[in-house]
Amino acid sequence: MVVGPEVARFLFQRIALGALVIVFASALTFFFVNLAPGGPSSIMRFDATPEQREALIKRMGLDKPVTERYADWALGAVRGDLGTSLLTDEPVTQRIGERLPNTLTLAGAALTLSIALGIPIGLIQALRRGSAVDHVLSLLSAVGLSVPVFWLGIVLILLFAVTLRVLPSAGVTGIATDTLVDRLQHLVLPAAVLATSVLPTIARFMRSAAIEVLHDDYIRTARSKGLAPRVVVSRHVLRNALIPVVSAIGALVPRVLGGTVVTEAVFSWPGMGRLALEAAQGRDYPLITGITVVAAAIAVATTVLVDLAYTRIDPRVRLA
Amino acid sequence: MKLGLHTFLLRATSLVTVAALAVTACTSPVTPGGSTAPSAQAGPVTGGTVTIPITADPTLNPWSPNAFVESLFINRVLFDGLTKPGKDLAPAPDLAESWTTASDGLSWTFKLRSGVKWSDGKPFSADDVAFTFNDIIKKPDLGAQSAANYSAVKSVTVVDANTVRFDLSRKFAALPSFLAYNAGIVPKHILSADPLKTTTFNKGIPVSTGPFKVEKYTSGQSVALVRNENYFGPKPYLDKIVFTVVADPNTQIAQALSGDLQIMILDNKAAVERIKTAAGLTVVSRPLVQYYWLSLNQTDSRFTDVRVRQAFVHAIDRASIIKTVELGYGSIANSPITPALAAYYDPSLASKYPYDPAKATELLKAAGWTPGAGGVLQKDGKPFQFTMDVGQRGVLEPVNALIQQDLKKVGVVVDLNTMEWNSYIQKDVVRREYTATVNWWTYPSDPDVFPYYHSSAAGKGFNIPGYQDPKLDDLLVQGQSTSDLEARKAVYKQLQQYTSEVLPYLFLWYPQEIDVLTTSLKGVPELGLRDAMHYIGEWWLAPK
Amino acid sequence: MTRLGLAALAVLAAMALVVVAGPLVWTIPPEATNPAQSLAAPSAAHPLGADELGRDVLSRLIHGGRVTLLVGVAAMLAALSIGVVVGAIAGFNGGWLDALLMRFTDGMLAVPAFFFILVVITVAGTGVGTLVLVIGALSWMPVARVVYGETLRWKTAEFVVAAVSLGVPAPRLLLRHILPQAIPSLVVSATLGVAFAILTESALSYLAFGVQPPLPSWGNMLQRAQQYVFTAPALALYPGLAITVVVLAFNFLGDGLRDALDPRRRR
Repeated sequence: MVVGPEVARFLFQRIALGALVIVFASALTFFFVNLAPGGPSSIMRFDATPEQREALIKRMGLDKPVTERYADWALGAVRGDLGTSLLTDEPVTQRIGERLPNTLTLAGAALTLSIALGIPIGLIQALRRGSAVDHVLSLLSAVGLSVPVFWLGIVLILLFAVTLRVLPSAGVTGIATDTLVDRLQHLVLPAAVLATSVLPTIARFMRSAAIEVLHDDYIRTARSKGLAPRVVVSRHVLRNALIPVVSAIGALVPRVLGGTVVTEAVFSWPGMGRLALEAAQGRDYPLITGITVVAAAIAVATTVLVDLAYTRIDPRVRLA
Repeated sequence: MKLGLHTFLLRATSLVTVAALAVTACTSPVTPGGSTAPSAQAGPVTGGTVTIPITADPTLNPWSPNAFVESLFINRVLFDGLTKPGKDLAPAPDLAESWTTASDGLSWTFKLRSGVKWSDGKPFSADDVAFTFNDIIKKPDLGAQSAANYSAVKSVTVVDANTVRFDLSRKFAALPSFLAYNAGIVPKHILSADPLKTTTFNKGIPVSTGPFKVEKYTSGQSVALVRNENYFGPKPYLDKIVFTVVADPNTQIAQALSGDLQIMILDNKAAVERIKTAAGLTVVSRPLVQYYWLSLNQTDSRFTDVRVRQAFVHAIDRASIIKTVELGYGSIANSPITPALAAYYDPSLASKYPYDPAKATELLKAAGWTPGAGGVLQKDGKPFQFTMDVGQRGVLEPVNALIQQDLKKVGVVVDLNTMEWNSYIQKDVVRREYTATVNWWTYPSDPDVFPYYHSSAAGKGFNIPGYQDPKLDDLLVQGQSTSDLEARKAVYKQLQQYTSEVLPYLFLWYPQEIDVLTTSLKGVPELGLRDAMHYIGEWWLAPK
Repeated sequence: MTRLGLAALAVLAAMALVVVAGPLVWTIPPEATNPAQSLAAPSAAHPLGADELGRDVLSRLIHGGRVTLLVGVAAMLAALSIGVVVGAIAGFNGGWLDALLMRFTDGMLAVPAFFFILVVITVAGTGVGTLVLVIGALSWMPVARVVYGETLRWKTAEFVVAAVSLGVPAPRLLLRHILPQAIPSLVVSATLGVAFAILTESALSYLAFGVQPPLPSWGNMLQRAQQYVFTAPALALYPGLAITVVVLAFNFLGDGLRDALDPRRRR
């Protein structure tokens, strides 16, 4: 791929926009959370005395104005220091670092699963448009999009973990059995549940994109020229239909990341989503801000990557 | 944890392996304090791992303000106190061998066990005790948790390497009991720089004195404990304790059902019938030093009339609350002293306020509240209506729903305002901007309930209703000043009678804890699980 | 419209009838407790049984449906209002305002909304009003994009250009001439928006950030019922099914409307 000036300019724009989004998100979160009633859990203990509360407010520096605290935080953040967690005294980067790999594994697995299944499903539906298979798959997609994720999670835990006892219900590994197989077994249910919110969307996009492409003149030409259907599908339909699908996948990344909050709660998955929940409930101001920043950064980075991939598979961009 | 398809099929095999391991393990060293019984006999055997669920990452420092309820279990294993709760809940020796109070009651002297070592091999001494109290608890700017429990302690003096003296500002008969309650001694040689914020300690591998020490801390997942080879007491039977972080109570149940957990508190009591039907699990109930109450803010003139408070207690069907919300695991409360404190508890009060809406109506009428439009009680043309704040935690939400309906039946209109816990604490506890609310108190195993009732704590400390009564104050001080058991019993009997009469809080019920344990787990004393943690060295797993 | 779309419409109409008129027929109050009936099996008095506090499940479903559907529709309307304003202004004005608003829209789309929802609800507290505003404020972006696209498309249409030359003021032009063209797409977005809002409400209620008891909603009914999955799984079944059916119906209706209203889709 040749990175022409247009692509470079485009990339620069996207990165600048991304940076803006991150700054905006961090400021919004920081000020918002500080407005929340209550305070860090250690101060809001039922069994804390007023004197203790005062001492802790001072110790955490919460007696300083919020603007000053944000300025301090932002100065550190520029240097890669996201502050210190109010609830564990550990660096925020460390706390997120411990949990982020688990979230990325879960989100990555769900997304991979959705792409690996969604694209062929959509393609099959497009090729067999109007058939019984198409209808059944469409119906399943619609149901998948409509089931509350946590409810599905509870049902699956009851079925596979409690009744059949074939899959574990919580955590990333067993207690004494930290092997790859064990990790994969733990991943199955949460990844499947998280995938239900994206797989149908990908399949639907693929279906309609492939239908559009199948109607394009050059496909008809290729077909009429006697090219084998398999070649037509793999060389032309798939490639051209993937263009809109790839950008759709990019747009789904925030949804998958957001979905981890609920999925991690259901499956006690030690990821960033659960950390976010704890941080919000415990009013860990630097931690929740750090998580929002990291989540936004991941989403922005993915969008840029998807845009790059887009230039790669879109023949018109390649020509430029 | 063993799950998954292949282990599912091989379950039987793995059980054999565990048993074999247990057998090999117990053939080696002689287990102190118990017999090295051959596996055929029913005596304690060495070996095995016990997995216990906790709901969040613990903070491994009993004095950190961030050591929330999930940290209690593990900190009680790691950090010995001067005393520990005895099997009868009276204070028993731990790091201290014996203790005496001075004749004026203004100091306590503790004789420490000699030859105790920290898990890093350094000797434990009176300096560590003095450090824990003088440099952590009595340093107000650190904000150490439970510091308020020791407000009567002026300072701790090292008499000699094995003796400490607690100097008091007032008499404090309950001190040995309080020292058994989450009051672990922490090492001076590690924490002198920053006692509460040393994260390599709090969130890593702390130096401790208990029978087990931390092997590995995996954030968000588990904390693994192995035997502390430097422990002063008998060698524990178990090889390993794993505290696994499982936030969701249903997941805990699923894991208990699949055999991954060996002992846990059943937070979701609704599942108890399901657990009872499971093979290999035993369900036991334990009394707690805990009671639920309804606090009516005494700054609201409607609630200062004792007849109104008594009427409410008659109107609330507490037996039904215990039956539906606690699945029967609890008993009706009419005073702050719980049945768990058997030496002090007065059972004659249990039937003092039967569920009796007619009696409630009568009492309310005597207080000037008469039925108006739609059956709602009125006084001076104003309807009896108020808001109860509901904190989102445990059983509070269904309990409030039941109370609301019970009070409605006697013509009192209650609006429920459900709030997230953190905001609730700020509004109701810190700011005291509330009319009525339900919550609970848990306290050390001693009837000294001074902080929750004394008028000096009204409106700011733990006196949530803000009730002030010189007679009650007098009883509370008497109890603190009396060391003689029989004399104390008499004082606290009087206190129970009096509180049940004047109802500073409306007492609701004494909950019981449901513990679920693997049938093969033996040696767990008949205490609430948190207290039983002090005896973890006596637990053992029977070979299957 | 497709048969499926019509069927979905019928289901939703029936649902609406039940939650609006249901309480007139089924008069048991949803908050009335009766400990003696705790977890009672279905009977003539309680056709769907009673919950842990002996409250009638049918009545709670009806009243919960009111709340859930109300939140869904109101949140959709909020999203629609914000989206239309942003999209129309950006499309019609063009220039820097266009760039600013649409980049803002892109930015909002790129941020995982759920993290923000947690933060905002922590601040604003849990209430039906907050819930509606928060869900609305975080789901208007697709609407803005649709309106933006339509505005751009019709801005250059002959009748619009003619109207501009006649001196018709911009807001009037937008309202009278351009937005009506976008109605088909908006109807589709709105329908799908309700589905999204209902799912979000239930997820938030599951995390205890949603509608607060004693007011029932399908989401918080599920949250309570979760405790009883081992002993009374039916309690979790009803609200879960209700949510799935309604969301499914809204999704099908949206698809059906899209097919019916968008000629390009009909190929």
